[in-house]
Amino acid sequence: MADQPVGPGVSGENVAGETPVEEPETVTDEAIVHDEETELERTIGLVGGLAIGIGTMIGAGIFVFPGLAASTAGPAASLSFAIGGVIALLVALPTAELATAMPRSGGGYYFISRGLGTAAGAIVGLGLWLGLVFASAFYLIGLGHYATAVLAEVGIELGADPVVVIALLFGVVLTALSIGGTENTAKLQNYVVGILLVVLTVFLTYGVLDAFGVFGRQSAPEVFFSQGTFPVLTTAALVFTSYLGFAQVATVAGEIKEPSRNLPRAMIGSVVIVTVFYVVTIFVATSAFGADRLGTFGETAMVEVAREFLGLPGAVAILLAGLLATFSSANASILSASRAVYALSRDALLPRKASEVNLRYGTPHVALLAAGGPILVLVATGEVELLAEVASFLHLVMYGLICVALLVLRRRNPDWYTPSYRIPGYPVVPAIGALASFGLVAFMQPASIVVGLGVMILSYLWYRYYASDVTLQGAI
Amino acid sequence: MTDRPSVLVPVRVLEGESIPEGVPELLANAHVVLLGYHVVPDQTATGQARMQFEERANGRLEKFASLFEDAGATVDQRLVFTHDGQKTLDRIIDEHDCLAVLVPNATAPPTDVLVAVRGTIGVGRLAEVVAGLFGAMDVDVTLYHVAEADESMDDIETFLDGVVDRLTTFGVPESAIETRVETAEKPLAAIAATAEDFDAVVMGESDPSLTTFVFGMPADQLAERFLGPVLVVQREESESS
Repeated sequence: MADQPVGPGVSGENVAGETPVEEPETVTDEAIVHDEETELERTIGLVGGLAIGIGTMIGAGIFVFPGLAASTAGPAASLSFAIGGVIALLVALPTAELATAMPRSGGGYYFISRGLGTAAGAIVGLGLWLGLVFASAFYLIGLGHYATAVLAEVGIELGADPVVVIALLFGVVLTALSIGGTENTAKLQNYVVGILLVVLTVFLTYGVLDAFGVFGRQSAPEVFFSQGTFPVLTTAALVFTSYLGFAQVATVAGEIKEPSRNLPRAMIGSVVIVTVFYVVTIFVATSAFGADRLGTFGETAMVEVAREFLGLPGAVAILLAGLLATFSSANASILSASRAVYALSRDALLPRKASEVNLRYGTPHVALLAAGGPILVLVATGEVELLAEVASFLHLVMYGLICVALLVLRRRNPDWYTPSYRIPGYPVVPAIGALASFGLVAFMQPASIVVGLGVMILSYLWYRYYASDVTLQGAI
Repeated sequence: MTDRPSVLVPVRVLEGESIPEGVPELLANAHVVLLGYHVVPDQTATGQARMQFEERANGRLEKFASLFEDAGATVDQRLVFTHDGQKTLDRIIDEHDCLAVLVPNATAPPTDVLVAVRGTIGVGRLAEVVAGLFGAMDVDVTLYHVAEADESMDDIETFLDGVVDRLTTFGVPESAIETRVETAEKPLAAIAATAEDFDAVVMGESDPSLTTFVFGMPADQLAERFLGPVLVVQREESESS
């Protein structure tokens, strides 16, 4: 049980007169100890951490984006995913170091508020909450597409556009389940992710063999950069939503066992695993149909790819996998959003009431509603790409600032900063990570940038009004 | 006399569980590790539950602690918010080197204690607990063994004599010890039936390959049928003594 020094002191109070919760006394491998004898058990292992990361990410990258990405970037969409993966890795490394120095819940928000101060923390924290709300809405619409496709497969034709209606329905169900359900959802998530990885591995192995002509079918040779090189970057910005999950691992950092070992492995591992899956998926999908035709299939393009390879059983398997994957992504994001609200409320940046726990179910109903409510509003817009990009925007700002926070903390080197994992390639890796994160934002649609900036400005104004006296950075 | 044996008393402190009558007297000679714990659903951060419930939980825990102290025990008090109660119990058992875990149920002040013995494994710790808790009290200890088909009466006698020896070395007067052997199809049912005439049961953990402890089957099932307190003696970390 290696005790670690704990983060900087917190002080000040918000408009409502609430103060940030004191930092704990000791942080060990197995628990966080407050005051004299109250402990918070760490219960999530490496597998659980990986499941959170992969489970959040894999839904979008494989089951929603291939069609959209192929239509804008051609076969080079593979490269877009690879670029996204590299940027994610450049950020995952610094995040892992910070997480081992501060294995506390709240993720990127926590690191930035302690490293760069309350204002930056508030912008990122509120941005994280809303970014997850945008991401959940995006996953739910993906889920809606899959559910619609399932209905179409069994021959039920619904009215004009059932996608949004179904997505709204699932949004309500998920929020209600997370408020009223007390069964062990974490275990379930592990199984779901396990099943997904098995299904995908089988499917992709077949696809790769087929693409190399093992089964004697000719695939149309295509020009790699069929749409030119610039769309590769804009597509990378769009599909970056597929890489948001590793930071969700950090939002539960306080609950991860042996954080110095498990946090870096879970974060970096999940990024590497999903990147491989994404790149292979796009390769297989574009070589099956050619990028242009793939693009016409939209959100559920993978179903058609599976049908092409394996007939109806393949299509059914991918349909079900898509339902599972988008469902688990949406679920994980709602829960993470609720954790973000809790972290903000703990630090007095949101009212304490927001993290209140329901006496009947023991669940944080206010925080969950603060996630579920706005999600429904966003789902109703039905704007898949805008939702995805705003989610990416808000996360990329956080990722960039995480890298900056690492640079600042290493430089000032406060006593409490003793990460057990130190990244290779300092200061180049975090510097490139920050530049790449901010740089990718530039390739987004103007509308996404405007919405994203709007959220940041509102967050800052909220901080000025509500909590300008709160200090989270401590004396560095 | 031996040292006070450490006994874990787990209480789901926020779900109305409390210390049943007779339990403080039962553990008067123990070092009680009083664990108040609260299992939080996965949707909730443990810190979130702490913010709201810490004060209430600690208030109740203090009251329980003083019950034990008044009866004569020494007490260590812990409060844990967790997603996984079993993991927390395991960790606390390990950190405090607890010899036994109590499944709390109400009882009268103890005069007769049933000690279920199965095999030589873990007998040392079993004896340590029984002697430490009851050696200095005016309590009758009955060693109870359910014979299996392939055991000879001689073997059983030698084995039980060995246990009696251990107990007397630890300071239990020989006159207070009785042995009883029975054959039965279902050992657990037999123990439960016999236990009705006793105030408390001490038993070992079950086979690790079959169940997890404390809330694993045998002790739990027994506690449900017996309705009295059950002390589950813990297996030693690495090897049996």
